[in-house]
Amino acid sequence: MDHILLLYLNVFLFWSCTASPPNFILIFADDLGFGDLGCYGHPSSLTPNLNRLAEGGLRFTDFYCTSPVCSPSRASLLTGRYQTRSGIYPGVLYPGSRGGLPLNETTIAEVLKPLGYATAAIGKWHLGVGANGTFLPTRQGFDEYLGIPYSHDMGPCKNLTCFPPDVKCVGLCDVGTVTVPLMHNEVIMQQPVNFLDLERAYSDFATQFISKAVEKETPFFLYYPSHHTHYPQYAGPEAAGKTLRGKFGDALLELDNTIGKILTTLENTGVITNTLIFFTADNGPELMRMSRGGNAGPLRCGKGTTYEGGMREPAIAFWPGIIRPGVTHEIASTLDILPTIASLSGAKLPQVMLDGVDMTDILFSHEGGKRETMMFYPTDPNEKYGLFALRLGKYKAHFYTRGATHSSTTPDLACPVFAVLTAHDPPLVFDLEADPSENYPLRLEERPDLQDLLERIKKVKEQFEASMVFGESQLLKGEDPDLEPCCNPQCHPKPVCCECSPKAV
Amino acid sequence: MSALILALFSAIICCSVTEKPSNVSSPNIIIMLMDDMGWGDLGVFGQPAKETPNLDAMAAQGMLLPNFYTANPLCSPSRASLLTGRLPVRNGFYTTNAHARNAYTPQEIVGGISEDEILLPQLLKKKGYINKIVGKWHLGHRPQYLPLKHGFDEWFGAPNCHFGPYNSNSTPNIPVYNNSEMVGRYYEEFKINKETGESNLTQIYLKEALDFINRQTQSQRPFFLYWAPDATHAPVYASKRFLGKSQRGWYGDAVMELDDSVGQILSRLKSLGVDKNTLVFFTSDNGAALVSGPNQGGSNGPFLCGKQTTFEGGMREPAIAWWPGYIQEGTVNFQLANVMDLFTTSLALAGISPPDDRILDGLDLTPVLRGSQAPRTLQNRPIFYYRGNELMAVRLGQYKAHYWTWSNSWEELKKGINFCPGQEVPGVTTHEQKEHTMQPIIFHLGRDPGEKYPISVLTKEYQDVLSRITPVVLQHQKTLVPGYPQLNMCDVAVMNWAPAGCEKLGKCLKVPKSDPKKCDWPH
Repeated sequence: MDHILLLYLNVFLFWSCTASPPNFILIFADDLGFGDLGCYGHPSSLTPNLNRLAEGGLRFTDFYCTSPVCSPSRASLLTGRYQTRSGIYPGVLYPGSRGGLPLNETTIAEVLKPLGYATAAIGKWHLGVGANGTFLPTRQGFDEYLGIPYSHDMGPCKNLTCFPPDVKCVGLCDVGTVTVPLMHNEVIMQQPVNFLDLERAYSDFATQFISKAVEKETPFFLYYPSHHTHYPQYAGPEAAGKTLRGKFGDALLELDNTIGKILTTLENTGVITNTLIFFTADNGPELMRMSRGGNAGPLRCGKGTTYEGGMREPAIAFWPGIIRPGVTHEIASTLDILPTIASLSGAKLPQVMLDGVDMTDILFSHEGGKRETMMFYPTDPNEKYGLFALRLGKYKAHFYTRGATHSSTTPDLACPVFAVLTAHDPPLVFDLEADPSENYPLRLEERPDLQDLLERIKKVKEQFEASMVFGESQLLKGEDPDLEPCCNPQCHPKPVCCECSPKAV
Repeated sequence: MSALILALFSAIICCSVTEKPSNVSSPNIIIMLMDDMGWGDLGVFGQPAKETPNLDAMAAQGMLLPNFYTANPLCSPSRASLLTGRLPVRNGFYTTNAHARNAYTPQEIVGGISEDEILLPQLLKKKGYINKIVGKWHLGHRPQYLPLKHGFDEWFGAPNCHFGPYNSNSTPNIPVYNNSEMVGRYYEEFKINKETGESNLTQIYLKEALDFINRQTQSQRPFFLYWAPDATHAPVYASKRFLGKSQRGWYGDAVMELDDSVGQILSRLKSLGVDKNTLVFFTSDNGAALVSGPNQGGSNGPFLCGKQTTFEGGMREPAIAWWPGYIQEGTVNFQLANVMDLFTTSLALAGISPPDDRILDGLDLTPVLRGSQAPRTLQNRPIFYYRGNELMAVRLGQYKAHYWTWSNSWEELKKGINFCPGQEVPGVTTHEQKEHTMQPIIFHLGRDPGEKYPISVLTKEYQDVLSRITPVVLQHQKTLVPGYPQLNMCDVAVMNWAPAGCEKLGKCLKVPKSDPKKCDWPH
C-alpha cells in the first residue's frame, strides 16, 4: 500500500513539476492473437519494439476485448461501454453502412478535448462513415484523421499490390464495392490506397502530430488502430521479407517498426517520460487464414468465438519512470482504458452507464485491479440469448458455445463454423488459471463445493443482464451503395469509377 | 544529495576493488536440465500462469533461444546425448526391438552408457574441473554405468525415474545415491506423497547445488554442475512451502519451486562474485508430457503434441543462456541449436579440443552466445528428429520434412494414452507408423510453428525445399554408423535390489533369478 501511495506521490510530483498532463498513445492491432508476439511466446515473430515495451513496461496476461470481431470491439474501446449499449452489433460495419457509432456516445477523444488535448486518429476506424461523413473520427472528438475508415479487405484487392516490388494481395477481398480509400480528415486522398506506402504515411503523420503538439506545449492523444495484422497482409520495403514468419510476420514487423518510430519521436521531443503508451488488439487471430493467420498461443479457438482465443489479447502498458516493468495477472479490459485515461488526466467521466473501471492501481502497483468479471457477447448479441459466457475471478462459465468461420481449419472441432450453437445448462465451467486452454470442464456434479460458485455466476449474470439496455442496432439499419466513399462522387458506373490518382497528403 | 553521491561513488570504488579478476579460460558451467518441462511452461514463452518470475528475469538478463531442441523426445536418450554430444543412434541409447520405438532406462534395463562413449565431465577433468551431478542420472543403474564411473566426482540423486512406491518383492524402490553409495530409497527415506503431492526433494537438490557452488568457489577450482531435478515428471511433487501456491495445481507448484531454486542459484553466483565467470544454461530433456495432463503435465505452447513424439511439442525446448558480461542481456537468438551443442560449447569454453576419433553432433555455440556472426556450419545446420532407430524428420532452416509420422498406436490410444490431446491433425498425427520417405510432409515452421498446414507438393517452394533437404539427409544416412543398441534387453535380476551401500543401511533385497528378455517398447 505504501508502495502505491509512493507511486501516486511520484506521479503527482511529476505532474506538478512539469505542469503538463500526460500524453496518451493508444495502439490497437487488428486480428492479433494472444500468442503472436515474441514476448507472448511466438517462436518466429520479430517484434523488437513491442518486446522493448514489454521489457520496460507492464505486460498483461488476462486482458480482454469485448467482442471477437472488429467494429463492436472498437466501439467498446473508445466508449468504455459494451457494444450492446452503443448499438454496434451484430457483426461489423461495411463501406455503405447507414449506421455508425452514435454521435451521442462519448469517445476517449471527447473525454480529453475539454482539457485542451490535441487528438488524432490514424488507421482503421471502422465505426462508420455514413452520409457526408457523419460518423468519421473528425465527428467523434478527433482533430485529425488519416486512414482507411474500415477494414482494408472491404474492397476488391485482386489487382492491388501488397508487397514490393509488385506482389499482388492474396485472394479477392470484398468485391462489388468501391476500392478502399485513404482519407485525410473527411477528404479522400487515394482510391485505391497504396499499401506499400501506407505505413510510411502513417508513421510520418504520427511524428508530425506528436512534434506539433509538443512544440505547442499541448498534451496529446494519439489513437493508432493499425490495419496489421488483418487479412490481406501487406508491408512496405522496410519490413517485406525481413522476418522468419512470412507475410504475417512482415506485416507485424511493419507495425512494430512504426512503434519504434513513435518511441524515437517521443525520445527526441523529450516527452517519453510523460506519455502512457498502451498496446492491445481488437480480437483473436483469424485462424481460417492458416499459416497466414495469427496465433492464439495456448488459448482455445480464435476470432469470431467466445472462447479465450477469440477475446483474450496481448496488452502492454509502457510509461518509463512511472510504470514499473513487470507482468500482471489482474483481469482487465479495453473497457477500462477510458476510465483510466480520464483518471490519469483528471478529465470528467461521461455521465452514462460505463462498463469500464479505473485500472491505474494495476498500472502503478501491478495488482489491486477492480475488475472481477468479464462478459462475453457473441458477434450477434441479442436480448433473448444474452451472454454467451462470463468470467468471474478465475472461473469462466459458458452458457452457449459456437464455432466461427473465422476460426475454421483448426484441428479443434469446437472452433470451426460446423460447431453449431450449443446451450449449456448448467454452464460449462473452466478454471482459467489451471486450464487457460479451456480443455477440461470442471465436473460440477462431483464438486458440491462449486455449487456456491454456480449460484454466484447465476446471480452476476442476472444482475448484469438486468442492467443491460440494448441500444438500437446500427448494423440493422442496413447498407446503401450510395454511401460508399467515392473520390469522384458523380461518376458512373459505380463502384468501378471510384478511382482517383493520389493527392498530396 | 552530495552525501548520497559520495556513498554511491565509494560503493562503486569498493566494488571495483573487491571484484576478482575473472578466470576466463576456465569458466564454471552449470547445465540445468528440467524433466518433462515444456516450452510453454515459462512466462517468458507465453505461459499466463505466474510461476516463473526468476526464469523470466534470467531471460531478461541473458539470451533466449526459441529454436532449441533436444536430441530425442524421451528422457534417457536425451540425457545421453547431452553428455556425449552425440545422437542416441550413435551413442547406443536406442532400441532395435521394433521399428521407431522410444526406449529408456527403467529398472529392468540391462544396458547403460557404453564405456566407449566419452562424457563431458571426463573431458572437463583434463582442465581441472570438479564435476557434480545433482538429480536424475538415467544413463543406466548397474554399477558400471553410474556417474562416478563416467567422469563425475560427485553425485546426489537417483539413477532412474521416481516411479513407485513398489512393494520390494516384485520391484524394489529406486535408490537415492550420495556419490557411489545409496543413502536410501524413494518413498522410504526420501518421501514422495502421491496423495498430497508433497516431497522436499527439490529442496535437497537445491541445497546440494548451493553447497557445491560454495565449496568450489572457496577452493577456486572451476566446476561443472549438472543440475537435473525431476519434480515436473509425473508423479509431480513440490515441498510444503510451494504446495497449493500456483494456479495450475501440483504441476504448477513444481514449476514454481524449480523457478525459485533457479533464482537462488543465480543469486548465489552473484553474491559469491562468480556470476561473470559462469555460464548457466537452462533447458529441459523433452517436451511436456501432455499425456499426464491436466494436473501432472505441462504446456508446449503453440507446438504440436508432446513428449514421445517427433512433432515440435516433443522436441522443441525452453532454453535460456545466462552469463553476465559475456552474453548481452535481453537478447533473443533464432539460431537452430540442440542439447548436444552444450557438450561442444562447454569444451570450447574450457579450452579443450573435442575428441577427433568419432562423429560429434554438437556444434560450438560460443559465437551465438557472444552475439557475433555465426559461421556457415552453424547457419546451415540441420536438426535430426529420431524415434529409436528411425530418422522421423529433419529441420533445415525454417523447413521441417517429416519422413515418418506417428503419434502412437490405435491400441494405446484406446487405452487413453494420448500424446496429442485435442490436436489431431489429419494425416500428420497418425496412429499408424506412416512412411513418407518418397514424398515427405513439409512445414514452414516460421509461418506455421504448430505444424498444421503442410506445404502443397505441387508448389515450387516444396520442390525447392526438398531438393535442399534431400542431400542433407542422404549425407547423414551415408555416414551414419549406428552404435550398439543398449536398450534392447531387460531382466528382473538387474533391478535395484542391492545397490552399493545397501549393506550399511540394511536395505539390500533378495535378487530374483535372472530372466533376460527383449524389452517391450510400445511407443
